[in-house]
Amino acid sequence: MTAVFAGRLLRKISLHTAWVLAVLLAAIIAGIAIGETPISLSLVFQVLANKLWGAGFVLDPIDEGIVWNYRLTRALVAAACGAGLAISGVVLQSLLRNPLADPYLLGISAGASTGAVLVAIIGIGAGAISLSAGAFAGAVAAFALVALLARSTGAVSGSGQIILAGIAGSQLFNALTSFLITKSANSEQARGIMFWLLGNLSGVRWQSVTLAVPVVLIGLAVCLWHRRSLDAFMFGSDSAAALGVPVRRVQAILIATVALVTAVMVSLVGSIGFVGLVVPHAARLLVGVRHGRLIPVSALAGAIFLIAADVLSRTAIKGQVLPVGVITALIGAPVFAVILIKAKGGR
Amino acid sequence: MSLPRFAVLLASLGFSALTLAASPAPLNPAPATKYPLTLDNCGVPLTFDKAPGKAVTIGQSATEILYSLGLADKLVGTSLWFNNVLPQFQEQNARVPRLADNDPSFEAVINKRPDLVAVQFEWMVGPQGVVGTRQQFSELKIPTYLMPSDCEGKDNLVGADGTRLRPFSVDSLYKTVDQLAQIFDVQARGAELTADLRSRLAKAQASVKDKQLKDASVLFWFSSADLQVDPYVAGRKGVPALMASTLGLRNIVESDEEWPTVGWETIAKANPTILVLARMDRRRFPADDFQKKLEFLKADPVTKNMDAVKHNRIVILDAQAMEATIRTFDGIEELANAVDHFDLHK
Amino acid sequence: MSNMKQLAPHVDVLSCAGLNWSIKGVPIVRDVALQLRRGETLGLIGPNGSGKSSLLKLLSGIRAPASGEIHLNGVALAGMKRRDVAQMIAVVEQQAETSDAITVLDAVELGRTPWLSALEPWSDADDGIVQQALIDVDMADKPKRAWHSLSGGERQRVHIARALAQRPQILLLDEPTNHLDIQHQLSILGLVRSLPVTTLIALHDLNQALACDRLAVMDKGALIAIGEPSQVLTCELLRQTFGVEAHYLTDPYDGTRILRFRS
Repeated sequence: MTAVFAGRLLRKISLHTAWVLAVLLAAIIAGIAIGETPISLSLVFQVLANKLWGAGFVLDPIDEGIVWNYRLTRALVAAACGAGLAISGVVLQSLLRNPLADPYLLGISAGASTGAVLVAIIGIGAGAISLSAGAFAGAVAAFALVALLARSTGAVSGSGQIILAGIAGSQLFNALTSFLITKSANSEQARGIMFWLLGNLSGVRWQSVTLAVPVVLIGLAVCLWHRRSLDAFMFGSDSAAALGVPVRRVQAILIATVALVTAVMVSLVGSIGFVGLVVPHAARLLVGVRHGRLIPVSALAGAIFLIAADVLSRTAIKGQVLPVGVITALIGAPVFAVILIKAKGGR
Repeated sequence: MSLPRFAVLLASLGFSALTLAASPAPLNPAPATKYPLTLDNCGVPLTFDKAPGKAVTIGQSATEILYSLGLADKLVGTSLWFNNVLPQFQEQNARVPRLADNDPSFEAVINKRPDLVAVQFEWMVGPQGVVGTRQQFSELKIPTYLMPSDCEGKDNLVGADGTRLRPFSVDSLYKTVDQLAQIFDVQARGAELTADLRSRLAKAQASVKDKQLKDASVLFWFSSADLQVDPYVAGRKGVPALMASTLGLRNIVESDEEWPTVGWETIAKANPTILVLARMDRRRFPADDFQKKLEFLKADPVTKNMDAVKHNRIVILDAQAMEATIRTFDGIEELANAVDHFDLHK
Repeated sequence: MSNMKQLAPHVDVLSCAGLNWSIKGVPIVRDVALQLRRGETLGLIGPNGSGKSSLLKLLSGIRAPASGEIHLNGVALAGMKRRDVAQMIAVVEQQAETSDAITVLDAVELGRTPWLSALEPWSDADDGIVQQALIDVDMADKPKRAWHSLSGGERQRVHIARALAQRPQILLLDEPTNHLDIQHQLSILGLVRSLPVTTLIALHDLNQALACDRLAVMDKGALIAIGEPSQVLTCELLRQTFGVEAHYLTDPYDGTRILRFRS
């Protein structure tokens, strides 16, 4: 009997996986084809053909390099980060029972900013440590502090503590960042940091892909594995415990996973906001709250959203690149308002 | 005196008169400054009753111009340094106290009781002045002289480093020298300096005239927040753009901002003939180090295919030369010299 | 404890001894010992703040006691996995709420959580169990109704259906009839009594409590009486614990004893 059900499950999974991958592929190709400089769709396919199965088209090495090393990597990382931030948002909103929770609630973005500022403005590492490494270290440090703070309040398994601890941690690290910037930076340094902090994918290359994609896939797997436990939090953590969910353990695993995924994303591309906040709500409107569907759909929606935002950031104003975080906010804020109105109307 | 000798005398006198008239040196000796001196500086009228006895500078460019005018003994404080002072001023500079490597505090400046504060960037003393506003200084009867290169034809409220409304003109540097010379009553030295600068500029221009630079393009790379992210490159109205246009090169960047960020994709597609990289002492971003910039260009799978990288048409210039300073002229000379040796037709 | 009678030995499905629990130093449950017998419906009554809800949380394993032991079918609860406990005990909380946009079916399907796993995914049998639970609480015609459109009573019935879908052996209910119309109060109580599960139900209405097999009375965190309802709910206890004067009447309709309160 298990075999039959396993077979049905596998068929269901592979059917859904197929169309999800197809949509994702289309989004990535669109992300590759549209960019700062005009590159035709046929050229894109020729480059992919060359690289993937040695088709042997004769192409300008600069064009080939741009498509393969710049645009493809950026689209892949945008997809990975969008997916990672979205599922982090889903998980945190479910675990903490707070619709305004987003991945940066745990202090990660604030910590990453401080780490990046320490490297870029105070000069820790004297140019040998990259902004990314500094950001990651800062993100992890901030999260550790927040986790410690939440635990030391020693309360019964409530979500209120970690939210408060997260806010306290974020405020602390944001204040540190501001202090460091005003104390030491000249305008150019401050501008460099600001641009990085608002999120940008311009520095992405293949090494970023080999880090971002596996991390997101692992995060996705962990969250999907716990989809039923996440469903069980529907009525709160006590209710989940009564339904057989080892609440403390599940919270620890999921929050740690979310923290890791978010820290890696922020260190690669800076703080891109609104994805983790808005995409889960949009996905909920589409497929409901059951995590078996919500998590994959959020991941896909997040991926597409960030690919589109990145393309827009490069093409909206000719000759200038806007920070991706600005685009996601400009789109995300009104979309969020619409979602809130729709949701209210439905009650 | 015999007639032939008299004729020779007349002729030589005439020759001298002619050469005197034709020489670039002004016929009249430079006038002494008439005090009280009033001049308009970036929209603020400044009045001097006599030559300032003590001056503080905010900005290495202002400092080095004052040194070039031989006014080192009038300086009682310097600040805002980007790299080591020009070697020829090292000894004099060692005797002047340094108030801060970056921006000084308001108190540190007024503590020196200066009769003049010479400032390189408007954002130091502008309406949101980091050090203090010009008004604050004038309330204490301290005139602030802002280098015209940073305010004339420039809107410092738009864009991170300000946006030029008119392309940078080297005249603003000459004007700075002339005005400071006027203020300090060293107009002779000022005239000499500007004359020297003008001739260097002309010589650099002449040296590349026959290289047919019409179709050659250039990109100036200052630094980047991270090695692989979009670099800060020179816009088309700033000092580097002036260098380019002086020598007849085309700047591939079309932004009016001073140092906009432009993606490597756009740069690679534009494929500039020549790349200019900034050399600086600061080490905040990995890309500050020009060696790292070179390594990146040669290793990145896209940039290494750029013509300038393949044929090593890369010039390393002092970052300070890319700002409105006395080093701009050094920069133009170096660039002209480098371009001279390039084969531009590959 | 003076009213505890010596009864013939039964199989105790859930028992506790010496249970203590406090919040920030304030004792909430004090030295409670209690045995829940297989198949019985044990009513838990007491004034507000007597510790009923907390006792239920401790017995279900949601909170850990400061001291004392709890045994589930003879096995110590403390060492058991939550999943195993949830397959035996289902809890209906007092006011479980959600702001998610869920349907009735979503909420009831949650009840199957302790039985599902990667190797045991959702099956038709689960559908059947959920359906039956909905029928039992009289919500089978509204599976797709949105949670937010339900009345307080309907929500309570959905919670009970979820607990029933868990197919537990023991059902712990914390004042489940609080927001229900009288019709539904009676039907739920009737349902709970008719189920072949052992039930521990905290109640507010003392007359409804009379219908239980046994009653346990709590006051200020301690268990002060346990036994048959009419023997536990003496006028003396009512006066001391609940602060009311009462007397029993016999209902001429069917001869049952009911309590009448005087002001």
